[in-house]
Amino acid sequence: MTQPADVADRLTEIVGPRGVLRRPGELVVYRSDGLPGYSKQPRLAVFPRTRDELVSVVRLLADQGVAFVPRGAGTGLSGGALADDVVLVGLNRLTRILSIDPVERLAVVEPGVVNVALTRAATPYGLHYAPDPSSQAACTIGGNVAENAGGPHCLKYGVTLNHVRAITAILPDGEIVRLGSAEGELDGYDLLGAFIGSEGCFGIAIDITVRLSPNPQAIRTLLADFTSVDAAARATSEIIASGIVPAALEMMDGATIRAVEASIYAAGYPVDAEAILLIELDGLEAGLEADVARIEAMCAAAGARTVRIARDDAERARLWQGRKKAFGAMGRVSSHLVVQDAVIPRTRLPDVLAIIREIAERQRITVCNVFHAGDGNLHPNIGYDANNPDEQARVHAAMREIMSACVAAGGTITGEHGIGLDKLDYMSLIFSEDSLAAMCRLRDVFDPDHRANPGKVVPVHSCREWHGAPKAAWTA
Amino acid sequence: MDRLTVPMSVASSPAVEQTASGSMTPSSAPLRPSTTAEVREIVGDAIVHKTPVRIVGRGTWLDAGRPVEATRQVSLDGLTGIVDYTPGDLTLTARAGTTLAEIARATAEHGQWLALAPWGSDDGSLGATAATATAGPMSGALGTPRDIVIGIEAVAGSGELVRGGGRVVKNVAGFDLTRLMVGAWGTLGILTEVSVRLRGLPEHEATLALALPNAPPALADVVARLRSAPIAPLGIEMVSGTLAARLGLGQQPVVIARLAGNADAVTAQRAALGAFGDVLDVADGVWTTLRAADPVEATVVRFSSPVARFPEVWLAADRLATAGEGHVHASLLRSSARVVLPHNEGAPTDAALELLRDASRDTRIFERLPRALWPVLAPTRAADRLSQGVRTAFDPHRLLNRGILGETRS
Repeated sequence: MTQPADVADRLTEIVGPRGVLRRPGELVVYRSDGLPGYSKQPRLAVFPRTRDELVSVVRLLADQGVAFVPRGAGTGLSGGALADDVVLVGLNRLTRILSIDPVERLAVVEPGVVNVALTRAATPYGLHYAPDPSSQAACTIGGNVAENAGGPHCLKYGVTLNHVRAITAILPDGEIVRLGSAEGELDGYDLLGAFIGSEGCFGIAIDITVRLSPNPQAIRTLLADFTSVDAAARATSEIIASGIVPAALEMMDGATIRAVEASIYAAGYPVDAEAILLIELDGLEAGLEADVARIEAMCAAAGARTVRIARDDAERARLWQGRKKAFGAMGRVSSHLVVQDAVIPRTRLPDVLAIIREIAERQRITVCNVFHAGDGNLHPNIGYDANNPDEQARVHAAMREIMSACVAAGGTITGEHGIGLDKLDYMSLIFSEDSLAAMCRLRDVFDPDHRANPGKVVPVHSCREWHGAPKAAWTA
Repeated sequence: MDRLTVPMSVASSPAVEQTASGSMTPSSAPLRPSTTAEVREIVGDAIVHKTPVRIVGRGTWLDAGRPVEATRQVSLDGLTGIVDYTPGDLTLTARAGTTLAEIARATAEHGQWLALAPWGSDDGSLGATAATATAGPMSGALGTPRDIVIGIEAVAGSGELVRGGGRVVKNVAGFDLTRLMVGAWGTLGILTEVSVRLRGLPEHEATLALALPNAPPALADVVARLRSAPIAPLGIEMVSGTLAARLGLGQQPVVIARLAGNADAVTAQRAALGAFGDVLDVADGVWTTLRAADPVEATVVRFSSPVARFPEVWLAADRLATAGEGHVHASLLRSSARVVLPHNEGAPTDAALELLRDASRDTRIFERLPRALWPVLAPTRAADRLSQGVRTAFDPHRLLNRGILGETRS
């Protein structure tokens, strides 16, 4: 079998000595991604700088039968970018925006382009890239594609999948394929749709063609504050049922508000509130005020103490910064933070949030909620000390109970963070063995040797055909 | 290339019927399952006996004409009913054979709608709309089935009952079986249940018609300005003079725009559109008429293009429509023109066929063609290794709608 040292040398020939990390000390930083509680050390890490280098790297790994894990910025929250003793392919040096076409409203980017950098580059044309995960200042478009990432404004504008027109991908065996079309419609199977959200198991995007959206003519950002989570949840359900589609509808509970207000990201949220809704309406100027008035009335009827409307862009930016940096602010509360992710039908918000409170009390853990209320996408965040085994066990028990409660309410186990490593055990809560087996066969189409992000997304025991499959090198 | 001739004989083995437009002659009565379990039995039986099946929704749609090899037909018109609808969630799950009309009735009671509005009528089924990914005049603004379908249940050709997605509007759990099944024309599995996202019905709406210039430079200018105008139409469709006449909108090409929102929003958009010239109020029913404007016997082809090339694509499509004595309409939002060529003795006019033969191949999708022309004009899109692999992963025995994607006959 090929020795890791040989592969490292060959990789170095492709990307140069500064493009390969092989000493354990250098690799420590790549042991984790945005999810605490897991630590997996890659055997090697390689960082191609160009398309050609990336292609050569993947083809070398294919020739050598070596397993690999693609990684963007490592901000993922499901352990999807952890490489357990295999090769980590870092894509964060492929940062070129290849083209921006303001007429077609399309951009072509390399996978390592940071999400917000694309919006910045599109700003002079009055355009932006709509999917806006909270980590948008750091996360990459390639990572967004792998996870089918969302964000607050996906309520109105859709998730990553709705904004990607085409991808040039390199499959694990080194073949380069074009998925989708930037020029027009295609028929046949939606292989682009299958690739997006495949969490690095189907290959690596070499370039990505995305839609850019025109900036709205007008924006209104509202902050409604409530004395109970329940009242804010009811207001959310009312707004959604009204048929008005806000650009974003976010909720933060009291614990989160107070953490944010105590941090450098203080946004001016009322610290005595038990819940706030951050509601953004956008679109044509005409008619916007009437919708704002309806939303204000619905919030008041649900028990809002006040509804404040941001007076200018600066105030709007401040209100959003508090929301987007809430996870960071929670670092003040505890040493480790699990940002959980689940989706429920929107009418179930009040009762599921009550169940989560009950679970937290019974398991003696702290849960803060900051989430995309408008599409029912919960983020119950659990602060804890990972060095305390008893507390860690209670956190895991609580997470399982929360997931089960969301599934029982008709929901799903992840809305935008992916399955990765963290949620493998929950897959059988929502998918039958038949469905999981079909997913395994789908993966086999793209990666018959199981070398791309091995062990993620679908539990190995569900893959009926895997028993006779060749074992990839370096996968214990 | 040889001159296209119609009809072309298609070889078929004696045991297998060639079924196609207007000539569906199943060797036995269609199977009409009313439960998912019965669909599983049918597929299980097909696997055991190696008998390919043809899947039909309610059979109300105009036949796509693509040759399908099958010994049995499965009709899903008995697999009906709304399974789950909680209005406050703005999601709905229905069995595949449920008509769009039934869904429209149920949702309208709560001020909501399913914004699919595919070509054809609302007598078609949800399952067929999803399986064919048929997108109508609102899809540029409100999404195609690929955007609107949030979950599916299907009996795969392997006999397995699979589910993709779910009943919530945001979901990234597992590999995306929903996306694969939508638009797969039933070749991966028989859809049994479909979940969709709904929208609130607009408070106010208005449909306006605006006359269009014929001269190419002026047309390009209007199209560009419409694209950046302060309007947010649910649909904005250019229609040829012939079609305009059928819609009762005069003899010249026009743009019809469906404006929606609250009263202020509709008023302002009406004014913005008025800046382009004289606008005419049109009854909302024009959209239903437009959707159902295709003759029973016709060839239908869509040309899509980058926005910058839209005017020239429109003009080429218009030439084709004229040659074929048919009509053309185009979505400004999707930059896609749809040409409808009525048949005379089973085929479009010779002049239209000549143009079809010469047209660039990469940006066109045929919706309907005479059976014999499929292999000539529209060779398979599913021949690549990945597509073949996907087919095998779900339908290893090639039993479902064999031939409908133009795949190589086994």
